[in-house]
Amino acid sequence: MSEKPPFHSRKTYRPGLVFRPQAQENIKRGLNTLVSAIRPTLGPTARTVAVTSLIENKDTPEVLDDGGIIARRVIELHRRDADVGAMLARALICRQNERMGDGSATTAVLLAAIYNGGLHYLASGGDAMRLRHHLERALGKSLIALDQQTYTVEGKHKLAQVAESICHDADLAKLLGEIFDIIGAYGRLDIRKDHSRILRREYIEGMAWDSGLFSRDMIVNRAELQTVYEEPAFVLADFKVNDPRHIMPMLEIAVDQKIEKLILVAAELSAEAMAGLMMANGKLKNFQVMAVRGPGSNADDRATAFEDIAIATGAKTLVGAAGDSLKDVTYEHFGWARRGWAGAHNFGIIGGKGDPRKLRQHVSRLQRWLEQSDDPLMREALQKRIGRLMGGSATLWIGGVSEIEIDQVKTLAEKTASAMRAAVSDGVLPGGGMAYMNCRSVLESKSQSGDDPDERAAHRILLDALAEPARAIYENAGYEPGEVIARLSDADNGCGFDVLSGAITDGRELVDSAAVMKAALRNAVLTAGMMLTIDVIAHHQTPEIARQPG
Amino acid sequence: MTAENICLEFTGSDETAYALAASPGFAKDGLCFAATSGGVYRSTDGGDCWESLPIVEEQSVPMAATALAVSLAFAQDRTVFAAVKGGILRSSDGGDTWFAAKFPAPPPLFTTLAISPDFAQDGLMLAGTMEDGVFSSTDRGVNWQPWNFGLFDLGVLCLAASPHLREDETIVAGTETGLYRSTNGGRAWRESGFPSEFAPILSLAYTAGKDGALLFAGTEDNGLFISCDEGASWDRSAPDTLPGSVNQLQILYKPDGGAEIYALSEDGVLRSRDAGRNWDFLVGTEVPPTAILVPDPSGEAMFLGLTGVGIAKYEF
Repeated sequence: MSEKPPFHSRKTYRPGLVFRPQAQENIKRGLNTLVSAIRPTLGPTARTVAVTSLIENKDTPEVLDDGGIIARRVIELHRRDADVGAMLARALICRQNERMGDGSATTAVLLAAIYNGGLHYLASGGDAMRLRHHLERALGKSLIALDQQTYTVEGKHKLAQVAESICHDADLAKLLGEIFDIIGAYGRLDIRKDHSRILRREYIEGMAWDSGLFSRDMIVNRAELQTVYEEPAFVLADFKVNDPRHIMPMLEIAVDQKIEKLILVAAELSAEAMAGLMMANGKLKNFQVMAVRGPGSNADDRATAFEDIAIATGAKTLVGAAGDSLKDVTYEHFGWARRGWAGAHNFGIIGGKGDPRKLRQHVSRLQRWLEQSDDPLMREALQKRIGRLMGGSATLWIGGVSEIEIDQVKTLAEKTASAMRAAVSDGVLPGGGMAYMNCRSVLESKSQSGDDPDERAAHRILLDALAEPARAIYENAGYEPGEVIARLSDADNGCGFDVLSGAITDGRELVDSAAVMKAALRNAVLTAGMMLTIDVIAHHQTPEIARQPG
Repeated sequence: MTAENICLEFTGSDETAYALAASPGFAKDGLCFAATSGGVYRSTDGGDCWESLPIVEEQSVPMAATALAVSLAFAQDRTVFAAVKGGILRSSDGGDTWFAAKFPAPPPLFTTLAISPDFAQDGLMLAGTMEDGVFSSTDRGVNWQPWNFGLFDLGVLCLAASPHLREDETIVAGTETGLYRSTNGGRAWRESGFPSEFAPILSLAYTAGKDGALLFAGTEDNGLFISCDEGASWDRSAPDTLPGSVNQLQILYKPDGGAEIYALSEDGVLRSRDAGRNWDFLVGTEVPPTAILVPDPSGEAMFLGLTGVGIAKYEF
């Protein structure tokens, strides 16, 4: 048996420039090649795409029905000019998938429809820059029309319906509907693998961090491997506590104020200081102290965690960088909670006694940052912080009969959860492509009587493109799109076509996340408009191997 | 309007009634309960005589009760709840015997109890606490779980369930710093549009009006507010008549389908018969009233808890 060649080999090409119309035709070819691979995955009756394994010596191909993952797997097309079109589309589709968790196939279909329509118009002598300008203006009208169709969903049953429209898995949708009904748009949800064969959920009260006790000797409940304090006081030290003498003022205040339980949260603690605390536990009557490592893998993370704990408990953080030391501690630095618990790897607060107004303002500020941030890592960190401060978290445990099934369901659950957050936060729209279809009426007049040909063309191109996601859904389900659209035009306003039952239904029974649908349309129009202005492709001799878009 | 005042003193001369509740069939059975600083009292003769109930076995000192709730299906289930420090007591025989539900330490201090209008079917109850937020029970008060997702202020002073709870699952909670609303039976909370500068909120009440539900919120210092859009926006009601604290609210549905709203201010009781637009001063008191009960739709009798005095019964 012959050895497989290494997957990546650095190729060299003849450098050069490719001009229109060849450049545009080849971009179109690449774009349509990639979109053709993704289009069958649109809708509840998604077809699948088999992708040969990226890993050497692993012969089983992946069977995928997620447009975002399929796009990620396509890392290069053979023809260089076509590759430019495919990679531009890939970057857009992957970004939609990463940012919104859903809508990647819709984005792909819209992009192809707008680009193909636009190129057709340019071939007849249209102006690319003016067409782009008018496409963006038509986009604004369409987004307003989408806003007008948007409504909020509440209640576990309706949210489960939204989840099912995203993941097409009734059991998973039911649990996610219940979870998002409780945690809302900002609550914390951990999705974890389980050893059982079923899906289950768990709710945890209070705030919890992935950081535990400095010493297992401080664990009181050996059966549950944790220590729980009632009505504990908190001292927060964002620095390494080296000198055991520095803990004395803290202990003196605790004794003077008749504090019975104290939790010291510190960035680091020397062995000597730990010994001092252990001695206090043994010698001081009616007093217990435990020391917890400050959460966060770096100084910035730790500072934000200390800020959150301080606001939740009403404590004032002692900051090493500001010259504070534990020997400077006063009673005003102490914070309070109804309960505090810690184990070897995590700790938590239940019923922090900080000012609720400050806590609410702090969470509002974090929510604003989250809405403004585009950095995925920053968004994830902010999401976790807000989730903690909301006073509880949910865990969805993913079980299954095999590791492969568990992995697949976990990926699906993560994707659905991401789209559900957007749906809870920004509302939903009529699903099955109907929201886009309903936007077409606002474009009709300008498509026929616009001021100039480019404006008319832009409106007509977008008007046609907005029908394309619905057509793809009907096609994928085995229906003739023209027939279905004709049936819908005879039906009442607000009706949709359920491809699973083959019946015309109330449009509100089929739903899509408004944020996902708006992002898909916005990104597709902007990217297609940009691509239509490309006249020339320049090739390097040794192109970089395609990477995940960032 | 005249009122005959019959002042009833408890066993301890300085006792205060924090909550009053009556059987839904009060007109026939004359049964009502009082949660007081000296424990739980019961009257079986329309409030003329009150007996102290033994809520805890071998109790040496009186245990203060802070809140009360009577099942709306009392005629069938005879269920009464009383909140005491650290626990909620449940009686299934009209108050003769009591069972305590367990709560996590440290012991919660309960401020209010809310019972589902559909309690016979859903068994749903909620309890507000001073520092631990809201506890909820879905098995008729046997087991309780804390449900505080989104509740930033754990000092809950009052709760009210929507009259259409079965359909809308809506419950509101008044706190020291604002108003929170749950649309899933108390499992998660979102801040409502109540202007937080007018908090704390001491009392809440829902009316099931013909044109949709009205929500009333009584504050500590800023009178009464009304919302007709489920708490999204609020208007102040009769600021001249109700300028200060509104400690408790009670809705009384009349046999003709109308509703009367009773508001307990620091000086006495006011009544509105037009959904809170206008208020009549009904009864003045010499000491601050702490609790109100109009037990019967006829409105012919009213009980007031009075600070350090006991309960006063008014007959109209």
